[in-house]
Amino acid sequence: MAALQPNADLNTTWAYLEQGIDQIMNRMEEGLTYDRYMQIYTVIYNYCTSSSRVQGGSQTDGISLGSQSQRAGASLTGSDLYNKLVKFLEHHLNKIRKECEQLMDESLLKYYNTQWKRYTTASGYVHHVFGYLNRHWVRRELEEGRKHDVYDVYTLALVSWKQHMFHHVQNNVMIAVLKLIEKQRNGESIDIHLIKNIVDSFVSLGLDESDSSKLNLDVYKQYFEQPFVEATELYYKAESEKFISENSIPDYLKKAEKRLEEEEDRVSIYLHATTHAPLIGKCEIVLIKNHSEAIWEEFQTLLNADKQDDLHRMYTLLSRIPDALDPLRTRFETHVRKAGLSSVEKIANEKDSEPVDPKTYVDSLLEVHAKYRDLVQRAFKGEAGFVASLDKACREFVNRNKVCKTSAAKSPELLAKFCDYLLRKSAKNPEEGELEDILNNIMTVFKYVEDKDVFQKFYSKMLAKRLVNATSASDDAEASMISKLKSACGAEYTSKLQRMFTDISLSKELNDSFREQMQLNHDASEFGGVDFSVLVLGAGSWPLTAPTTAFSIPEAVVKPYEKFGKFYNAKYSGRKLNWLFQLSKGELKGTYMKGSKVGYTLQVSAYQMGILLQYNQADSLTFEELSNATQLAPEALTPALTILCKAKVLIQSGGNTVGEPGSKYDLNFDFKSKKVKINLNVPIKSEQKGETEETHKNIEEDRKLLMQAAIVRIMKTRKTMKYVNLVDEVITQLQSRFKPKVTDIKKCIEILLEKEYIERVEGRQDMFNYVA
Amino acid sequence: MSKVTLTSSDHEPFIVDKDVAERSVLIKNMLEDVGETDAPIPLPNVNSKVLQKVIKWCEHHRNDPPATAEDTLDDRKKNTEIEEWDAKFMEVDQETLFEIILAANYLDIKPLLDVGCKTVANMIKGKTPEEIRKTFNIVNDFTPEEEAQIKKENEWAEDR
Repeated sequence: MAALQPNADLNTTWAYLEQGIDQIMNRMEEGLTYDRYMQIYTVIYNYCTSSSRVQGGSQTDGISLGSQSQRAGASLTGSDLYNKLVKFLEHHLNKIRKECEQLMDESLLKYYNTQWKRYTTASGYVHHVFGYLNRHWVRRELEEGRKHDVYDVYTLALVSWKQHMFHHVQNNVMIAVLKLIEKQRNGESIDIHLIKNIVDSFVSLGLDESDSSKLNLDVYKQYFEQPFVEATELYYKAESEKFISENSIPDYLKKAEKRLEEEEDRVSIYLHATTHAPLIGKCEIVLIKNHSEAIWEEFQTLLNADKQDDLHRMYTLLSRIPDALDPLRTRFETHVRKAGLSSVEKIANEKDSEPVDPKTYVDSLLEVHAKYRDLVQRAFKGEAGFVASLDKACREFVNRNKVCKTSAAKSPELLAKFCDYLLRKSAKNPEEGELEDILNNIMTVFKYVEDKDVFQKFYSKMLAKRLVNATSASDDAEASMISKLKSACGAEYTSKLQRMFTDISLSKELNDSFREQMQLNHDASEFGGVDFSVLVLGAGSWPLTAPTTAFSIPEAVVKPYEKFGKFYNAKYSGRKLNWLFQLSKGELKGTYMKGSKVGYTLQVSAYQMGILLQYNQADSLTFEELSNATQLAPEALTPALTILCKAKVLIQSGGNTVGEPGSKYDLNFDFKSKKVKINLNVPIKSEQKGETEETHKNIEEDRKLLMQAAIVRIMKTRKTMKYVNLVDEVITQLQSRFKPKVTDIKKCIEILLEKEYIERVEGRQDMFNYVA
Repeated sequence: MSKVTLTSSDHEPFIVDKDVAERSVLIKNMLEDVGETDAPIPLPNVNSKVLQKVIKWCEHHRNDPPATAEDTLDDRKKNTEIEEWDAKFMEVDQETLFEIILAANYLDIKPLLDVGCKTVANMIKGKTPEEIRKTFNIVNDFTPEEEAQIKKENEWAEDR
């Protein structure tokens, strides 16, 4: 084709261009030469820059000022070419649309996609050959914002497609798309590119009318996403209802899980990423939320059967729905509580009087806790809500179960006893590493114990015993346990326990310096060869009480006893020593027995020692003589004698039972034993039981004091307070130690009213003042 | 490095490296759209004298980073400074200068168009209308009324 004159008129120019554009749009496969490409570009350039149309431009624009019209016209002729192009595109698209209207389903999609691809590619070329028009006339139009329907040529092509193609065919296109997706959901394989291309084309048509350089997703959202999500809802509503009526819930959960995965994949394979939220959201409602009642109902069954995989699946699916896990958490809590109660039930003895073995008891609690803690981790991903349910349930069954029927304080008591069992020297002490694990487990139970003060009481009682009798298995283990308690309850909780250890080590130093001083100033013979050591224990820290009986110190130890008293008073004037003879012990060596040449060593309590040493003067003594010599009350003398008689160190010769008036006790010269060392310092059963009861009683007393102290503390800061608020505040302050009962608080308030720490506000029954 | 042949309006062929030719967005787009062949590329609106100049400029600037449309726009508008090589390059007679500007516009070589326009702008800067007319050989075709009107409208721009 021959080149055009640079100043050719519009019709000549357009006739030339139309052929070229037609070739690009419809016959690009024939190829386009550089020559032709350049000619088309140059024709447009020449047309736009030709000065012959300056006048025409200014006239149609109707600008009065000559200079401005000239400036505008000089480079801005182009609207007529643009309008011709608009017409051309409309005509071109109408032809394509006619074809489209003949087609349905996949053939429609194929045709639409092919045409779209060809059209957009060609439009890119047309955009380029119209480069000069774009750079000058279009740009000026846009900058001056005179017209809103002017776009750069490529955008114009898209706008035209939207107007002349899209709006006419999109309905059929979407019908075809949705059919295809349904086919895929039914398990058929489909050509996903068909859909992917439709999605891309819909997205490309999202033109911002006010700024053609920006894209939005309006077209895609309105014409694709919305009908797609609606179709999805219908499909899954029908499917899920049918499936759930014909299959079990665990199977349904698998199905729902798979469906959700498939839809996630669908988004990532051929939909726009923004569809993820609305699509998945809708699926979650249809597939899960609408069936949540039925799913919840299944939970108990799965728990009973310990189906961890199914539980995990149920958790994961329901966690997608707000609040859908709450019913599971509640049910889980009930389930764990029941499991805990029945676990305790199994080990609780039929007769309440039989004491429960602490280890069995704690193990039975731990077993349930461990089982469900693992379940929470594995099936519920350690989710906080389930952890809280577990804690709540454990707190319930740890404090209120069959063993605790009589008193909630039973749990901490048994727990403390278990600690003692572990920490006391015995043949069955566990290995160090194992012990640490067990102690950690104890802390797990301890966390749930409400009456932590009870635990503290028993623990310190038994610790005192371990320390006084030097029966602690390991200092490290003791320290480890104390530090665990400290980090669980604070320094105040363990301060007394720690001071007990301090007293023990201070006593060692004290004994050393006492011995040193005695060696300097006295001859060893003064003590008659008695080895003597003392534990000095602070009365405030140790749960020990003074002896209830008088005791005449045996002659043999009077010397060291007196010397130590003087030594201590010299060192710490003002301190008073109370001798706890009921806890003291000694070793006696007997050489009188015929059974052994070397003699036996008897390990005895101080009281037993007091009795036996009397036999240095006589071989046979009556109860009254012994009582007189030792000054021991019958309640202390009788049990001490009983053990000596049982061990056949003494032989009762008069009366039927030990301690009977007039009974007589002879030294047994025929005493025989396989061991060289015989421990006679054993606790007496009845004593132990009494001790436990006493400890519980002590706790009640301590609690009263704690409550009173709390009330005074609170009233001192608040001055005036309502009854209800005061009770609440007391409970808050004390609940880390125990759960105060309201009736007990009320009693304490009455005591304080009587003692005039507080008074009632005049005319008000429910208000109190602090009395300074 | 592949070569392309550019043909001027007076049919003189210029063989240049592809990346030099592609300083022209027009040529770059075309090569992308049509695909590369051995055929010469006719440039019917640029004569050999000007094309030679333009190619010289493109060769010198072949490694410049491609200017993106928006982010340099403000920069280009504000800045009238011309780098040394370009200033030397533009030391030509007025006729040639205008032909270079037209060719840059036609071929869509924005940086060259900018340099050309800046050169002209610097020729205008600081001159009175009368001096400008003299520089560019312009006949004053305003009526006195028109001139008064324009002066009034542009009063704000007067140096005072």
